[in-house]
Amino acid sequence: MPILSVDGLEKTFSSANREEKVLKGINLEITKGEITALTGASGSGKSTLLTIAAGLQKSTAGTIIFQNEALTDMNTRQVQAIRAKKFGFVFQHAHLVPFLTVQEQLELMMDTAELKWSKDRRKEEIRSILDLVDMWGHRDSYPGTLSGGEKQRVAIARAVVHKPEMLFADEPTASLDSKRSMEVMKLLRTLSRERNITVLMVTHEEETLEYADTIVQMKDGVIGKGLV
Amino acid sequence: MKMAWKEMVKFKTRYVILGSIIFLISLLTMIIAGLANGLSYDNASLIKDIPEGTFYMEAEAEGLYNFSGLNEKNRAEIKEAVPEVAFFSIQMGELESEDGKRHGVAFVNSDGSLFPRVKEGETIVDDSLMESAIKEDEGLTNRLLDGELKVDTFVEQQKFSHSPVAFVDRADFDEMYRTDEYQIAFVEGEDAPAVAGLERYTNDEFMNTIPSYSAEQLSLNMIVVFLFIISGMLFAIFFYMINVQKIAMYGILKAVGVKTATLFRMMWAQMAIITTISLILSVGLSQLLALIMPSTMPFMLTAGSASMMSLVFIIIGFVGSSVSGIQISRVEPMQAINQGGV
Repeated sequence: MPILSVDGLEKTFSSANREEKVLKGINLEITKGEITALTGASGSGKSTLLTIAAGLQKSTAGTIIFQNEALTDMNTRQVQAIRAKKFGFVFQHAHLVPFLTVQEQLELMMDTAELKWSKDRRKEEIRSILDLVDMWGHRDSYPGTLSGGEKQRVAIARAVVHKPEMLFADEPTASLDSKRSMEVMKLLRTLSRERNITVLMVTHEEETLEYADTIVQMKDGVIGKGLV
Repeated sequence: MKMAWKEMVKFKTRYVILGSIIFLISLLTMIIAGLANGLSYDNASLIKDIPEGTFYMEAEAEGLYNFSGLNEKNRAEIKEAVPEVAFFSIQMGELESEDGKRHGVAFVNSDGSLFPRVKEGETIVDDSLMESAIKEDEGLTNRLLDGELKVDTFVEQQKFSHSPVAFVDRADFDEMYRTDEYQIAFVEGEDAPAVAGLERYTNDEFMNTIPSYSAEQLSLNMIVVFLFIISGMLFAIFFYMINVQKIAMYGILKAVGVKTATLFRMMWAQMAIITTISLILSVGLSQLLALIMPSTMPFMLTAGSASMMSLVFIIIGFVGSSVSGIQISRVEPMQAINQGGV
């Protein structure tokens, strides 16, 4: 049973004098607990597919079913609630809030997800995830004092601290060197295995694909034949 | 609230600058409002201290009290309609003290029920004349009066058209101004009946018949209104600038599920903190100024007026920041994701 399924998804971007069809009828099923990697050349539509699946932008046609509910039929407020409570996000850049410490970044996410955890439980969860990403020692640091790799690890911790069902990662290693990239990928796999989090990831780096359970090759807005 | 405070602490300088500007503008507004109130009281405390009611003047006087004259017939008609009516007259004039100095005064003569009763040959004067070395029992003269007016006592803050009031007996007033008519009738309460040939005025309307009163108040109140508008625009511009810098952050926060209302609450909390601190300082300082300002500078700012102005500032701050906050509701998560970030 897939946790997320995409059926006949289309996306057309319109400007004043031209229309560009970026997604041309995508059908895809994401299995719970797996890491699925979307890969392909620049402009193939992989990031557009990920952001539409994550409810960050609307499709032109087609449906997305998440846990038996049509995301594409929901209003903005309902989609925002799903994003806050059931999804986690990691982007190419860490995008941390500059005036919050590492620990406060995680607390913000817990507040956003409206979790009814006790103070002790919150502390415990923060400790556990920061230990996992090896950032507990930096819990009182501000983003400005962290390296690129450290920021990305905090971003990953923030994305999973509220125990989401799915993690969407858009080129999570693109701004990191190869050593840091492998560390981040190992971390994503650990989180997926230990916390049963389904990961949908966009990447164009071949070495990161070895961490994926399923690889979806995209080309010119359609899923290519090289599906692994 | 916590996020709002954390941001303000982290980026102190920018919020201290905004707070300082709001403090200075609110202080200036309160000083000018205090001066407007003070001048208003200095101009018309004689009338301001009268309870709310209705003033009658001759219709032909067209709102100029010194052209009004209520004859026996008019007075009888008003008295028949409202037995508790009070009659009085005001004329600008001068008194010469024993040291030969002349002092501009507003002579007020009443039938005794509204203002202090004075015996013939005596006067009760505003205590500002004490500063001109006029003493009790001193004999004051006027060119239009044969005898002297002996100072019976002083009264506190009784001024008209910025001149100290001198209450005199009707006989002395008649001798100086050759009239046996009162100019004005006053009835307490709002249900005063209409009387043929007479025009009715509320307290505020009557005060505006005082030469220079409305012009003076209008100019000062206009400055106060402009300062309120400037502070509202300042809030809008400041938060606009801050929000422009935070567009990417807002987009990401929206992407991870933070509600737009939460971001608005954060901005309102910052506005409320800055405004409250600025207003506490400016109200405190303006009250201190009220204590130390020289008596020649009329300044009056009651705690009630200061609180009301503070409330207006908070409302303006709320509106100004909300207008600039429209940007927040327009931010698209995708816009931020496509940009770089911390």
